[in-house]
Amino acid sequence: MSRPRVRQRLDMALFLAPACFLLVVFYFAPVLVDVVLAFTDMGRNLEITELTTANVERLLTGDRRLPGVLAVTAIYVLGTLAVFNLTYGLVLALITTAMPANAGAFFRAVWLLPRMSPSVVYALLWGWVVAPTDYGLLNQTLQALGLPPVDLKSDAPIALIIVANGFIGASFGMIIFTSAIRSIPQHLFWAAAVDGASGLAIVRHVTLPSIRWQISFVTIYQALSLLVSFEYIWLITDGGPFYDTTVYALYVYQRAFDSGQYAYGAALALGLVLIGITAALGLWRLMDMRALLQRPRIEVT
Amino acid sequence: MSTAALPLAGPAVDWEGLAARARLRRRLSTGFLYLAMILGALPVLVPYLWLVTVAFSGRTGASTFVLWRTLAVLLPALVLGSILGLAIEDVRRRRQALLLLAGITILILAVFTGPYLHLNNWRFLWKADVADALKGASGIGTLFPSVWTAFFNSLTIAGAQMALVVIVSTLAGYYISRFAFAGRPQFLQGLLVLHAFPAMTLIIPIFLMMYWIGLQDRITGVILVITALELPFAIFVMKGFFDAVPWEIEMSAMTDGASRRQAFFHVVLPQVRVGMLAIAIFAFLRGWEEYVFVRTLLVAKQNWTMSLYLFWTITDVMGVDYALVSAVGVFYVLPSVLLYGFTQKYLTQMTIGGIKG
Repeated sequence: MSRPRVRQRLDMALFLAPACFLLVVFYFAPVLVDVVLAFTDMGRNLEITELTTANVERLLTGDRRLPGVLAVTAIYVLGTLAVFNLTYGLVLALITTAMPANAGAFFRAVWLLPRMSPSVVYALLWGWVVAPTDYGLLNQTLQALGLPPVDLKSDAPIALIIVANGFIGASFGMIIFTSAIRSIPQHLFWAAAVDGASGLAIVRHVTLPSIRWQISFVTIYQALSLLVSFEYIWLITDGGPFYDTTVYALYVYQRAFDSGQYAYGAALALGLVLIGITAALGLWRLMDMRALLQRPRIEVT
Repeated sequence: MSTAALPLAGPAVDWEGLAARARLRRRLSTGFLYLAMILGALPVLVPYLWLVTVAFSGRTGASTFVLWRTLAVLLPALVLGSILGLAIEDVRRRRQALLLLAGITILILAVFTGPYLHLNNWRFLWKADVADALKGASGIGTLFPSVWTAFFNSLTIAGAQMALVVIVSTLAGYYISRFAFAGRPQFLQGLLVLHAFPAMTLIIPIFLMMYWIGLQDRITGVILVITALELPFAIFVMKGFFDAVPWEIEMSAMTDGASRRQAFFHVVLPQVRVGMLAIAIFAFLRGWEEYVFVRTLLVAKQNWTMSLYLFWTITDVMGVDYALVSAVGVFYVLPSVLLYGFTQKYLTQMTIGGIKG
């Protein structure tokens, strides 16, 4: 090889190799390991003694818990997405952009607080707020208003996890919708106002059509994150009472790490991995490919 | 038939009055929005305020006494501040009025809550065996590490992971932005798919791989895992920043005799400092708050991070001393909130594929 060619190869190794190494080791290798693992009998001792299809059979026909878990997952994902991540995020974006800039930024910062604080702290706060004791903030407020006390954790656990996750999820939509609304040309709003459109009519006929793309992006992206994340549910209700708030992702984790059925957990995770890849490919089609794949700036090859 | 005469045809219009009415209506509707947003923000803010008041005033229980007092002062102040902000039009006088209001609020707050404040809940900072003593009272007994062990572990994970993410993604982002190489479109597409792909689903195989290569229960392992998970996002952000640097400046550096690498280090890198700062902050916050992976990969007590320390404090001590738990919580959440608050303006400058991250 000529000297410049060697140099180019060296450059490529220097700049790209670290990233490639980490991505291969922590994304591609785990997917392969998971596929293989799903067809083994690995248990608590972390040893593989034979290859088997028992896990897949159990997954498809034999797991009595699974239908319930799937139903809880569907309610949780759809409920949180519809009420908070989309609707509430949109409302927050609309109101904070309609306010003076400083005030809008302040309220957006407030709603980002749950996202910025560590999950353990956030879960601790929810535990205290809904505590059925004298201390519980919710019950103190209800009593002050003359209403009977409630015990959300055992009476309406699904509502609890939807609200707790929704308070975090709302900020994602809020941020994306806010920057989308800001980038709508102002003259559209002026034209609508001059034509006599009311505030709500402007939202319905100018704002919403302009941010359609962002709405579909947030829907897919957040549906995927809700489907695979279990951190807050794990910390707040731990899937309980009984299996009432055990969503699929948490079920996968518990089967592997609590029951020690690593192989069955891997088989269960395979379902999530497949959904993840499908949704990621769908998102990728939605993204602005031209901007991302623009030609490199330098012609060197 | 003259169109010019039309305005004269109607009765005289009170333009001043109309303008004043419109202004009033606009202020009223803005005021209504303020009220709605304040009420909506209460469920988010009040629990955090509660945590802080209990950390500084609680005596074993999570009493809400100081919280209600604080709110009774803060809420009217907030409403009054909104009204003042809307009513006073002169910028300088508005600022003076708001500052005065803030001063008075702090004074009243000091009078009403001052007598109840104390630092006893923060004794975990200098007495390592606090949690053990309390837990001993409830009958179970294993050793807690010092909070500083956990603090420095978290700091190590967040810091090392931040450095790795910044270095690796800056190098890769530059190469992708500047060079044409075989498989570049495929590489970019793959990266984008990875960015959307939820890595959480891979936790079982990642745990096993760590176990097989002997990095399980090692802080190094956690650092590598979190770095890798942050990478697709960080590389895209950095690529975006490099794309925005005109390549003429680099070209002129090379014309002046700089080598490709010299041009990169001395000319291009300074241009993307904001981008590096932004992903550094993001990576740090991510490492600082990490829970699921550290809980899964780290076991030994000397490897505990702040999230694990707080989690086990909650599990073991909460029944005995809520106030201590909330002090630990404030100690843990404070760096995140401060860092985020001071650097917010850098974080909002990132875009990825037309999407603000």
